[in-house]
Amino acid sequence: MTPMLKDPRKTFGEALVAAGEKNPRIVALSADSSSGSGLTPFQKRFPGRHLEFGIMEQGIMGFAAGLATTGKIPFVVAIAPFVTARPFEMFRNDLGYMRQNVKVVGRCAGLTYSDLGATHQSLDDVAIIRTIPGVTILNPGDPVDIVKAVHAAAEHVGPVYIRIGSPPMPVLMDEAYPFRIGKGVVVQEGDDVTLIGTGTVFSKAAGAAKLLKDQGIHARLINLHTIKPLDTELILKAARETGRIVTVEEGYTAGGMGGCIAEFLSAEHPVRIRRIGIDDRFAEPGPYEDVLALYGLQSEQIADTVVSFLKS
Amino acid sequence: MTEKTMSLISADERRELERTAVRVRRAILRMLKAGRSGHIGGALSCADILTALYFKVMRLDPQRPDWPERDRFVLSAGHKCLALYAALSERGFLDECVLDTYGTHCTNLGGHPDMHKVPGIETNTGALGHGLSIAGGMAMGLKMDGVDAKVYVVMGDGELAEGSNWEAAAAASHHRLDNLLVFVDRNRLQIGGPTVDVMSFEPLDRRWESFGWEVRVIDGHDMGQIVACAANAPFAPGKPSVVIADTVKAKGLSFAENKVEFHYWKATEEGLAIAERELKEAEERIG
Repeated sequence: MTPMLKDPRKTFGEALVAAGEKNPRIVALSADSSSGSGLTPFQKRFPGRHLEFGIMEQGIMGFAAGLATTGKIPFVVAIAPFVTARPFEMFRNDLGYMRQNVKVVGRCAGLTYSDLGATHQSLDDVAIIRTIPGVTILNPGDPVDIVKAVHAAAEHVGPVYIRIGSPPMPVLMDEAYPFRIGKGVVVQEGDDVTLIGTGTVFSKAAGAAKLLKDQGIHARLINLHTIKPLDTELILKAARETGRIVTVEEGYTAGGMGGCIAEFLSAEHPVRIRRIGIDDRFAEPGPYEDVLALYGLQSEQIADTVVSFLKS
Repeated sequence: MTEKTMSLISADERRELERTAVRVRRAILRMLKAGRSGHIGGALSCADILTALYFKVMRLDPQRPDWPERDRFVLSAGHKCLALYAALSERGFLDECVLDTYGTHCTNLGGHPDMHKVPGIETNTGALGHGLSIAGGMAMGLKMDGVDAKVYVVMGDGELAEGSNWEAAAAASHHRLDNLLVFVDRNRLQIGGPTVDVMSFEPLDRRWESFGWEVRVIDGHDMGQIVACAANAPFAPGKPSVVIADTVKAKGLSFAENKVEFHYWKATEEGLAIAERELKEAEERIG
């Protein structure tokens, strides 16, 4: 059965309205293009709680920090590179160092803006934001995760970065599953290899796991919706039980999820790791699915990589 | 444009504030004695503004540093923190013994302020160009909650070259944050030399005005003018207010005043002794 597809930004926007109903302290901040950030329903439902800053992508972070000092729970939503790389020092000092309860949502993350080129793609966001002490990074793997991530972030006290894409995402997770920050989910058991997917391309990893099954390879499939804090227990167990790890992410493997896992396992339980994502380069422009394919992120390619990795 | 408002304080109150400012400067020197070096030039140029704010203007309770209805103070130019530590100590937010830990290993009084280590500090500043945005967010949050508290900010004039300040200035005006009052400590010197030579943002009054702020220019060492500005803010309803306070770098130390090399001072025994003597003389002059 083909899974249902949902628009991640719309899903996020609806989830934020639901969270806003539950908690009147939640406010939404946009840096222009609030509708592109999925904020139109929030704006309509809570007009006094939506704050517009225009294309003011440094200042908005400080304003969010200041709002948080008065007890508000600001959700700052904009295109991913412009809430991470652009205002990195504000993110680090005003949110991280000041430990402010601000949620930053980078939308259209990764290669979403494949046609617009490297300025609008965020391949380095995970790598840079994870260097900030105390910041939680959520990278939801499907629309169910997005909703759960928004509620979890609203309840969590402290700065959170939520990364969402834009192309329609297949619904893969069970709505009833308990989402816990810092806890990955084993979606499929297997002992031949562990396949860890995150965020926008978790579905590609899930597709690869199916293809591998057809070939008699039983991959343990993990949805790692939280990159920081890393679920070290789950990863250590997978390394011990399967002996090989393949990571799949729509971002730089250096410093990204694959980097986190490699750093951790090299110290705790060295196993062979194959990281699939974007290497040390600016991505080429083109249609989204084609660009994913350029970097080996389609399910068939991932499956092939796993097969050759197991043979090597 | 110059603030001509009559002083709103009596002669006695003025003298009392001036005496307090001497004590604040003495506390700054006490920290320098302990730590041996620090950003003394800017700390002394804004010391009178901080004294007026902490002892006359702001609604505060040292026993309840997180009181939701308190006024907020943001030291955007975080390197001037010696003045902030001194004012907080003098006002009762921290024990004066703590001043002697300045510059020591793992001290709570670092070279830039840390809100998690010292009660009464509202923000972690140091990297320039952050304070005004944070203060703007505070002002916005207070307004949303209907709290009538105000947010006061001290910025450096050299700091104004950071573009992020002008983002914040535009947003504060756009969102009509008239509970926000900024003092620009215009001592006209930054580490590389005269501010107009390094990167001029003059005419400051017209720049701020063009960003939608209501501007006053005062003598930043005149307690009467500082207090009058705070009492008259907002200068126009619905607009944020900025005071360009003309000050003297390292004010109060004759050998250091207006000298760029005292932006950061590695204090000497001899210098500290002269400074102490001059503060005593200043105190005697006030009476």
